[in-house]
Amino acid sequence: MKQACVGQSILRIDAVDKVTGSAVFGDDMDFNRAFYGKALRSPFAHARIVAVDIREALRLPGVKAVVTGKDIQALGGEALKDYPFIASDKVRYAGEAVAAVAAVTEAIAEKAVDLIRVEYQELPVVTDPEKAMNPKAPLVHERLKDYHHLPVIQPVAGTNICHQVRFIKGDVDKGFAESDEIFEDTFTTQMIQHCAIEPHMAAARVDAGGSITVWVTNDGPHRLRKDLAEALGLPLKKIRVISPPYMGGGFGAKGGLKVETLCIALALKTGGRPVKMVLTREEVFTSSLVRHPSVIKIKTGVKKDGTILAREVDLIYDTGAYSEKGPTVCQQASTAGPGPYNIPHVKVSGYCVYTNKPVAGAFRGYGHTQVAWAHESQMDIIAAKLGINPVEIRLKNAVREGDISPTGQQILNSVGLTECIQKAAAGVRWDEPKQAFHGQGFACGYKNTKTPSGSSALVKVSQDGSVELLTSTVEIGQGAKTILAQMAAEELGVPVTAITVSTPDTDLTPYDASTTSSRSTFHMGNAVKKAAGDARGQILKIAAQVLGQPPAELGIEAGVVYALKDRQKRISYTDVLKNQCRAGIDILGRGSYHPDDEGVCAGPWSSPSIFWMYGAQYVEVDVDAETGQVRVTKIVGAHDVGRAINPMTCEGQIEGGIIQGMGPALMEEMLIGEKGEVRNPNFLDYKLPTARDVPEILPIIVETPCSEGPWGAKGLGEMTNVPIAPAIANAIYDAVGVRIKDLPITAEKLLKAMREGK
Amino acid sequence: MVSIELKVNGEIYAVSVKSNETLLDVLRDKIGLTGTKKGCDTGQCGACTVLLDGRPVPSCLMLAVDVKNRDILTIEGVARNGALHPLQEAFVSEGAVQCGYCTPGMILSAKALLDRNPHPTEGEIKEAISGNLCRCTGYVKIIQAIAVAADRGSVK
Repeated sequence: MKQACVGQSILRIDAVDKVTGSAVFGDDMDFNRAFYGKALRSPFAHARIVAVDIREALRLPGVKAVVTGKDIQALGGEALKDYPFIASDKVRYAGEAVAAVAAVTEAIAEKAVDLIRVEYQELPVVTDPEKAMNPKAPLVHERLKDYHHLPVIQPVAGTNICHQVRFIKGDVDKGFAESDEIFEDTFTTQMIQHCAIEPHMAAARVDAGGSITVWVTNDGPHRLRKDLAEALGLPLKKIRVISPPYMGGGFGAKGGLKVETLCIALALKTGGRPVKMVLTREEVFTSSLVRHPSVIKIKTGVKKDGTILAREVDLIYDTGAYSEKGPTVCQQASTAGPGPYNIPHVKVSGYCVYTNKPVAGAFRGYGHTQVAWAHESQMDIIAAKLGINPVEIRLKNAVREGDISPTGQQILNSVGLTECIQKAAAGVRWDEPKQAFHGQGFACGYKNTKTPSGSSALVKVSQDGSVELLTSTVEIGQGAKTILAQMAAEELGVPVTAITVSTPDTDLTPYDASTTSSRSTFHMGNAVKKAAGDARGQILKIAAQVLGQPPAELGIEAGVVYALKDRQKRISYTDVLKNQCRAGIDILGRGSYHPDDEGVCAGPWSSPSIFWMYGAQYVEVDVDAETGQVRVTKIVGAHDVGRAINPMTCEGQIEGGIIQGMGPALMEEMLIGEKGEVRNPNFLDYKLPTARDVPEILPIIVETPCSEGPWGAKGLGEMTNVPIAPAIANAIYDAVGVRIKDLPITAEKLLKAMREGK
Repeated sequence: MVSIELKVNGEIYAVSVKSNETLLDVLRDKIGLTGTKKGCDTGQCGACTVLLDGRPVPSCLMLAVDVKNRDILTIEGVARNGALHPLQEAFVSEGAVQCGYCTPGMILSAKALLDRNPHPTEGEIKEAISGNLCRCTGYVKIIQAIAVAADRGSVK
């Protein structure tokens, strides 16, 4: 059946607000009588804090509060609780907060920060994750064994390994013994930053009863509430997290504990007045979050015809000074480590390792970009050696409907990989002669979603037929408000314009695990569908009485209930509500979705992914023979979304994800000095793609309906930048015969390799 | 503190500012026009772009005291009499908006382009917005929206 709202490229409901400048972001909000907060950050990557002298800062007129690590003893963290709100005994990365000031103006707060004196005793710095795994390496966290953590997390006490994970399927030794060829390669990836154009912000207020309200750019308001409550030893009801109406991008960086920890520490001392902080761009680079640098060793055994028999993957994820989401990034990446292929013998070992560097965590792709860099680069090394074209070898090994997942946890369904590969490669000729220094490249990939995790929604139908959708899904830019409105409208039989979508507020909007992991369309979509269906059922029940028909014999279209047998018998939502509720009442529809309704799971992150997203990308490049500069000239991205709720926003995700992946492939890298300092924390020295770098992009939506998804939908956003870096590297190899194994592929690096003939 | 008059979106605002206050901070904090965004405060991201006598400038690098009596156009002044500018319409219809944080600056850079060059090539469009960083869209639909607005015939 064709739907009126679902599957339509309905214009975004937030677009007019955003093109007129009336959309309110965090820094645009007016916090009555707020003080301004500033942090003092450590210049050292690893040092004992001997003494902090705040006396002079406190004497500065206009200063309202100064806090240090001694003022707030709290450890937070989603999977492993290792993160102090303010460093107290020692600092573990350059940029870590050691004190904070609240003052009447930003200028006074800055001045006061300069007046704080800290005595440090420098400690040995460890920046290389492989060296950090050495038993003799300096320990970033001496008390790792004492930290609380989720059941699935496995820290190794007395080391810098905060999580290790292993997946074994079959017998890799047997598989390698039976192989005709064996390939062994090591690939590395660099540290990058999310660079959402809106910097992180937060404001906090503490009332006389000790209840804390936080306004914050965070992609999981309920998750943050839980994190804060656990860290501060407060019941959930004492913490209220409110999202600003809009968030200026996040890509994973705006989760976990960030700026609000400092605001809360300060607000505990400002007698009910709020404290607001906005990070500078430099602080966003050094002190918010980065993507894990990684070292990935991959060994693959194949038959002469290209069939993969065995694959062993060792991955090391450098999570920096605190675990943040590192352990689960490492875990999720490990489950996807062998690539989306049918391989009988698999062994994956993942290590998440502390170093004295900026904190790494979630970044669109959640670790899959790194493993895809390895397995997709190596697929082309194998294909070239065996004389098979890049598409053929992938199609030969690709997972299909009903296959066991590569690391053996589950049977796969809604598997659109083959179609993605075929569509992305349609019309591509691999064997024709082509211009010198022009290359074609291909890569594919898959991505899981955090499982199990829950979402709830409420649908409120008011007396004039207006519909409010109460959800804690955050509009980060992805278009969630529009898509959830489409789903609610579809189920209720009203136009999208009848729906208003709430802004998250943990006191008012029901639970949602987080707006991450490409989970919202699926999880919150299911909750919204149930909630709207519940409201619909209540409306039909009332209408049935009015129309004298059984509910089962009623239909709904454009906000009007009618008898299926006699369309003249009809009543509008407005009249249903008026009829039933003359004294005033709302219809309240409830909906919750949790993949594990039996409640038998072993906690967050413990179950196999409820769905997998698949995608394939084709790239063409020109390489400048003189300079090594790479120009990407064409990209085709085919992505399996299950079902596209809004094709235009899906295209936007594919295009945006591809360019966001092209940056780290060719130019982006946070440079870390020997002492752990960030050397390029600004947009002049850290290069982002601009409009001039954009090639022709062809987004292709593949639909392989997922039986569990709302209208068959899965997710998309995170998958879109997974295959792009290896696709570009493969095209560069095709163009100049040089294989680069460490990202990014800068002109300098490529030219050097071309001259050395690697 | 210095008392100055700023002409923003055709209206005169009398404000008292410090000599080191940027136009961006004065627009946002003293005049209350928060549509102009702060992304880096160092002139590197383009989110704070406004038009100064029709030319795009990063308002975070302009001192408020230096732009008195000049024509300043912010995103709030682009729609006229409640009607969206063709660029704004095209950004909506082409799906050029995601998070929206770069959008005001993008639209103003594009407006400056179309005002002096109503029929730009794709290369000219890319050049005109190359100082405006966007991390969501991959620029594709933004470039498309500007081309569509140019086709529809932009009005000043």
